[in-house]
Amino acid sequence: MEGEPMPDALIPPTLQLQTNVSEFPPPSLSPSFKLDEGYSDDTRSQAEKDLGSDNVMALPNWVLALSEAGRAGMISLFLGDSLSRFKHFELAYSLLRSLRTSSIVAVVDRLNPVLHMDPVVKLPPEVTLEIFSYLEPRTLLNASLASRSWRDRILDSGLWRFLYANEGWRANLPAIRAFEEENFEPVSPQTRKSRLRHPEPDLGEPRQKKRVPPTWLDSRSGEGAPSTVFGGPQPEADDEGDHHMTDENNHTTDDHDRNADSFTDDSDFTMLNSLSLPSSPLYPPLQSSLLMRSLNGSAQINWTHLYKQRRRLEANWHQGRYTNFQLPDPSYPDEAHRECVYAIQFEGNWLVSGSRDKTVRVWDLKTKRLRYKPLQGHSKSVLCLQFDPSPEEDIIISGSSDKSVIIWNFSTGERVHRIEGAHLDSVLNLKFDKRYLVTCSKDRTVKVWNRRDLLPNSSDYPRMCRGAGATYPSHIIDLNDVSPSFIEAGIANDQIKALKPYSLLMTVQGHGAAVNAMQINGDDIVTASGDRMIKVWNIRTGACTKTLMGHEKGIACVEFDSRRIISGSNDNTVRVYDHASGAEVACLRAHSNLVRTLQAGFGDPPGADEILRQEAQAVENEFFAAQESGQAVSLGRREQRRLNGYETNTHGSRDPRDITALGAKIPPGGGGSKWARIVSGSYDETIVIWHKDGDGKWTQAHQLKQHDAVANAGRENLSEVARTTVAAQVQHLQAAQVLMTLPGHHAGGQAPNANHAQAGPANHHNPLQAPPAPANQATPQPPPVHHHHHHVRRPPLAPHSAARVFKLQFDARKIICASVDPRIVGWDFANDDEEIIEACPFFQGL
Amino acid sequence: MSAITLTSSDGIEMSVDRTTAERSVLIKNMLDDLGDSGDAVPLPNVNEAVLKKVIEWCEHHKNDAPSASDDDDNRRKTTDIDEWDQKFMQVDQEMLFEIILAANYLDIKALLDVGCKTVANMIKGKSPEEIRKTFNIQNDFTPEEEDQIRRENEWAEDR
Repeated sequence: MEGEPMPDALIPPTLQLQTNVSEFPPPSLSPSFKLDEGYSDDTRSQAEKDLGSDNVMALPNWVLALSEAGRAGMISLFLGDSLSRFKHFELAYSLLRSLRTSSIVAVVDRLNPVLHMDPVVKLPPEVTLEIFSYLEPRTLLNASLASRSWRDRILDSGLWRFLYANEGWRANLPAIRAFEEENFEPVSPQTRKSRLRHPEPDLGEPRQKKRVPPTWLDSRSGEGAPSTVFGGPQPEADDEGDHHMTDENNHTTDDHDRNADSFTDDSDFTMLNSLSLPSSPLYPPLQSSLLMRSLNGSAQINWTHLYKQRRRLEANWHQGRYTNFQLPDPSYPDEAHRECVYAIQFEGNWLVSGSRDKTVRVWDLKTKRLRYKPLQGHSKSVLCLQFDPSPEEDIIISGSSDKSVIIWNFSTGERVHRIEGAHLDSVLNLKFDKRYLVTCSKDRTVKVWNRRDLLPNSSDYPRMCRGAGATYPSHIIDLNDVSPSFIEAGIANDQIKALKPYSLLMTVQGHGAAVNAMQINGDDIVTASGDRMIKVWNIRTGACTKTLMGHEKGIACVEFDSRRIISGSNDNTVRVYDHASGAEVACLRAHSNLVRTLQAGFGDPPGADEILRQEAQAVENEFFAAQESGQAVSLGRREQRRLNGYETNTHGSRDPRDITALGAKIPPGGGGSKWARIVSGSYDETIVIWHKDGDGKWTQAHQLKQHDAVANAGRENLSEVARTTVAAQVQHLQAAQVLMTLPGHHAGGQAPNANHAQAGPANHHNPLQAPPAPANQATPQPPPVHHHHHHVRRPPLAPHSAARVFKLQFDARKIICASVDPRIVGWDFANDDEEIIEACPFFQGL
Repeated sequence: MSAITLTSSDGIEMSVDRTTAERSVLIKNMLDDLGDSGDAVPLPNVNEAVLKKVIEWCEHHKNDAPSASDDDDNRRKTTDIDEWDQKFMQVDQEMLFEIILAANYLDIKALLDVGCKTVANMIKGKSPEEIRKTFNIQNDFTPEEEDQIRRENEWAEDR
């Protein structure tokens, strides 16, 4: 309404009324009273011109034609009488009703600014933030087209930070802080001026830079809004009278959320200011950038940009857009493991792998090369490992079929400690935290070891729990039998010595077969065994607190996120259990062989417990409603109920007919955000990416294959020589493997190979590679990875067992996978997009 | 139940139940700080008409349990509004925004939420042009700019 050029405010209300009623048949028309068709400028200028003379004289004539009440109202208007609002209203209404409809429309139009007002003008930023935080990102982007000031308010970093978290995405906050500090650059007024005078030549194309040049934002804002750069008046909104209210709010104990830091800081960030002149360049600029710089040189991550890049990255996962890579770089085939790889873990720039070739190898993910020579020490296959590259820990722990566990120094590769004969049989899995190392074995036991000197007065010291299936070595003191003062005295006079690191604290027995996999989470140990059971144990006492059943064959892998337990089994399924109740909430079928490895990320948004509880409750209510109305619903095992003719859905359907258990704290499927993802790897040679469909049911979104990845990764930059070497190596390996496998397994001789060779390019060969997103069209994108099928030099395809998947891990950006093939391969969903790659260091997995 | 007096920006005094008034964190803090002096609490940013509405709301909600979590970031945002509040918010835009500003100033979180949800619901499902109409906004983009922004925003559609 500020923009309204018409000088309505200059016209006294009486005169406006007068023009309104000018169509009312007047007894006599003064010369200035011409009939008009509404509100032409002509009428108004006439009113102005006549202000204060003729009209006043003309009035009594037609006022006489009004009703009594109307006249009284009219008079009171002239006299400035304080008659009741009601009467004013009645008068105005009866006057309006007397107009022709077209005139009423015109009046309403004219009143529009009074009836409709812009919240972005009327309300301060912290309130519009609150409003916008109720809206979906798509709605917001749509609304940003309303006007420049709307776009400015909506593209607010703080708002998108909230939206980012709300998607269930996590960010690497330490990395963000470090990045902001690293980019802090105090700017003196002198240098700022000179920058403005010599703007960077690439102002318009920040995207071509890996990083926004530190000077860019300064000079940019200088161009767009010089007055603010030099401390001129703040544009728009702030001179609105209402806004001082927000300042007064500061002294109250207002919650921090609404007045998030980013907002109190906003006024310092010139790039957020916009000019409302249509000719001014778009502000914020059309293309967002990762960094925002304030006048004092401090830098802040731009969450709007981060949200956008994360969203684009997630879209790549959903659409199956990726590039491939392998370890080692194809040009250095000699660095590869000599045999199949059983264990991998990556973190930051490092990946550690363990192989049947008895070595542990540490890889630099940037160069795809070995960090140092292979670590030798195990006398048999390395089956499991975990590492922590942080300076406080700097450790690798590996377990082997030689029954031992070795602790290595991560930076140097030195062997620090060895637990000889840790188990009676192969060490199948291990996990450690700051307090404990936990190992599990083919010998059916789980063992807990201390990581640091441990005295009985420590809260980490085991509490014996008789009859729980746990046994404790003789050096463990039963704290149930002795008083704390006795312990203190014993420690004081040195009679009780600290347990050295990696002493056995307890042996947990309870599984009837090999313990294949385990996880630790807080004080819980979760184990999965060939006996088809999952058990939860207390890490301090060794007591079994829960047993989960459901799998029909042995379990190979288990994941645990404090709300759900997810397992993969020889029955070819992936199952999701509610941790709290033990109820099975999903059973995913797609693999045709043992599910050997998996990882799940449910992407729980903030406040997930409450959301999950409500969703679970809603599902139960529907179940009871269905039961009451006599529908054929029943609890129990899905497999048995399928006989009733109804094909049950076990992938997380909320249909009452698919419900098998009540009392779960999480809904069918396990809940989580729409970005939730499970990735499972199987002996059927495939990796399956599971996503949720619109109804929250898990669906197999994509199927990935090891040999496709190798082929894709290899073609990129492989020299002819290297390719030949790799090919020879693989052939050699395959020959060895064929010998190892059972006779008859490859009864078809070369047939499987032939089939693959034919089907490969057409069917399996990265079938997911969709055309680039429309969004990418605006900027030139690196061409998608080309799969030159005509390159006949593709490494020969492995025999049927060659790509059994042993271990996979994913983070926000990539999946890395270890298999029978000694080459470790990866799928990078950044898909060579520079902007996504630039933002990736600040993302965390689901 | 003690009553206190509030003074609106236009000098009108209103007597309110203390519990009702203390839905406002600002007033509660002022009363805590000032003690029960019996003096009128001046509210220089809220006029009589708005203050009346706000008090009406506080009156209706005076027995509400304190909101489960004032920790905004830990709550999924739904724009559901209960029936009474919906009716209460059926006012002209000027009044609506004034109520929001007053709730913000008086620090009445639940009322601010209802107001913000009401505005959010006015934005939901509308085209940019409809939003402009709803709030009497001048389109200050050139057609080219509008087009550019539309294309730039396409990343949010891809899934």
